[in-house]
Amino acid sequence: MALLQEVTSTFLRRFKAPPASLHRIWASQCRHASTEAVAQETDELEESSFLQGEGPAQQAIERFDPAGVAKRRNRRLPPSRYQFRSPRYYRGPLHPHQPPRPSEPSSREFAPGPFSLPRLEQTYHDTLASDYMVLAYAHLPPGQTAFKKGERLRRWEGDSPYFKNRPLRGPRGGDTLRLLRKPVTFRNVPQLQRVTVHTMSSDAINSGAALHVSGMVLQAITNVRAEAHEVKKSVAGFGVRAGMYLSLTCELKGEDMYHFLSKLVDVVMPKMKDWPGVKGSSGDFSGNIALGLKAEEVALFPEVEVNYDMYPPKLIPGCHIMIHTTATTDQDARLLLTQIGIPFFGKLVH
Amino acid sequence: MNAGQKSARRIAASNGPISRDTVCFSCLHRLTHPSRRNASTAAALAETPSAPTQQPRHPNPPVTTAKAPRKAYQLLASPVLSRPPLLTRDLTSFEKAYYLYQKRLNERLALPFTRYFYYKKGTPGDAEWKRKIKVRETPARDIGVYAAYGDEGWNDEVLVGDRTAERESVVEALVRDAEGKAIIDEEVVGDENKNGLAVAGDAKTGEGQRRDLTKVEVERPVERVTEADRANDMRSLSRKMDRTLYLLVKNREGRWRFPQDRVYGRENLHQAAERILVQGFGIDMNTWIVGNHPIGHHQMNYTSGGAPAPRLAKITPNRLVSTSRDRAEYEQEEYGEKVFFMKGRMMTGQADIAKNEYGDSEFRWLVKEEVEEVVTGGYWKSVKDILAER
Repeated sequence: MALLQEVTSTFLRRFKAPPASLHRIWASQCRHASTEAVAQETDELEESSFLQGEGPAQQAIERFDPAGVAKRRNRRLPPSRYQFRSPRYYRGPLHPHQPPRPSEPSSREFAPGPFSLPRLEQTYHDTLASDYMVLAYAHLPPGQTAFKKGERLRRWEGDSPYFKNRPLRGPRGGDTLRLLRKPVTFRNVPQLQRVTVHTMSSDAINSGAALHVSGMVLQAITNVRAEAHEVKKSVAGFGVRAGMYLSLTCELKGEDMYHFLSKLVDVVMPKMKDWPGVKGSSGDFSGNIALGLKAEEVALFPEVEVNYDMYPPKLIPGCHIMIHTTATTDQDARLLLTQIGIPFFGKLVH
Repeated sequence: MNAGQKSARRIAASNGPISRDTVCFSCLHRLTHPSRRNASTAAALAETPSAPTQQPRHPNPPVTTAKAPRKAYQLLASPVLSRPPLLTRDLTSFEKAYYLYQKRLNERLALPFTRYFYYKKGTPGDAEWKRKIKVRETPARDIGVYAAYGDEGWNDEVLVGDRTAERESVVEALVRDAEGKAIIDEEVVGDENKNGLAVAGDAKTGEGQRRDLTKVEVERPVERVTEADRANDMRSLSRKMDRTLYLLVKNREGRWRFPQDRVYGRENLHQAAERILVQGFGIDMNTWIVGNHPIGHHQMNYTSGGAPAPRLAKITPNRLVSTSRDRAEYEQEEYGEKVFFMKGRMMTGQADIAKNEYGDSEFRWLVKEEVEEVVTGGYWKSVKDILAER
């Protein structure tokens, strides 16, 4: 009976207006332009025993020794109690055994996460991004309206009545529209997205060892397992048949990408002999820049240089490095890469 | 705000009695206390009956022509010269613990280390490797002693208060590894007479022992906290290497400001900023002005007792601006100052206050919080959003 009264009173309380004292709390929580600087992080959190409560006693901390307890135990523990494998197949949302998230260590798809905060990533966010925003700003004087691009998909113009709701035509001279360049704002600064390292060895036509060596070199440089690719079409001139595995690629994202680019710019590029820089015409008009390294330049990577003798002679491959950015034009991508430290030479083609 | 009230009222009316589950706290308070009236609500109520038939506003309205005679303002350029952070920031305790745990999990999932791919059999490098791996049980050098595939592989989490993830421990482990020592000091086999450095009776135990024949000198990493940090030398560029430092000067009025000067002749802001750095601090600074346009501005009107008090300024040609010499010295009545801040980056060099031509007494390289402390309130409001947090 008392419980029912409690429930009813709680339910009814929700329909009453909040008491006047709460208004003061609400008003004080409102942030105006004149509010003081943000309080410490822990002050904004709810009160909880984790923050306010005391931890375990010092004696308890000193006595805690799970490894020691395990060593002193004579009997074996039943494996069924301590071994767990997450379900192999997803049986639907109502099944009692749900697979854990891929970020959980117990998941089958768990890949150990970031191991460090890369220096290049920090430099980008602290220094390069704000400089980029300043450089890419285009001022619009007051009274002028921004230039509006004309219709990209062309209408059908003419006498025929059937032109009215006909689907619009594509651009002149081709099928695909070029990427639109959005103005660079603080939300829109071009960033490094991913890096693809690719190598193809024609020695692999005759010997399988060449492909294995290329794979090991790529793995050593990039910290990512290389994927092999089949040849799609047979070309007799090159002596190549469809289905042969001749090329490898590695996709680098996040931490691996930043570490690879740091190594490339700070260690490998300064050691390259007579290297003028990346060609100015490099770029796919969508903000992705590619460069190539020769075999002797790949050998300059510290991971390859450390055990250079272990690789069979002349089997260390050269590679193509494609840097994908979130920029939509070549100039934007080149500006970002110049900030990172990659030099360009020759005529810049947009 | 008008629209918000209307829609909240609509929701409240349609769902029956007003409850905290249908309407948010602040709207609920406003609806239950309708007696509170101020000028804005009166104006809003007056507006709502008529249908809005205003013309759409110009997105970029032009500057309206002034009806009164034009007022002149002192036009100033001010380079905000910054030394970007040279070091990465310190990791938080959570990040350190997280990275250590992820590294240990990686040990449990990665394939075993292929020793013979890196060390040839029988070489001294191989012997050194075998000796070291015996102690630390894992190829990784920064995760402490941990055997991922051993009996204690389950014990991958470190206990509270463990210092394995701290920067000092990692540096110590790497330096010891480079010197050829094991990660932790092992017990030395030997007898008392020869101070424990002799080889044991049987050859096998003595085989793995390391003898200090030549001491390997390994260069330790330089400290993150420099002399300038300890002495809190505010003129040094080596202070607070993980933060952005900004160059401020104490002008002849005794106020701390970014270096600033009038724009002369036909020079633009970018050129003025470069000239100010040279005239203020000498030519021993390797700097770069980012972009040709300002990143912020500050306006100060000359007033006395609330009323505008224009000042008569004498403008003399500047020796470094050739176009300023086109016009002889002239006078101008100025109603205030308009300062435009230009972003500058410092690469190498140092400021030399002895070469200053503006009468500035001293300079300092300050972090954002320190700038707030020395600068006046109005100036800080104009400047705080153009300074970097780190």
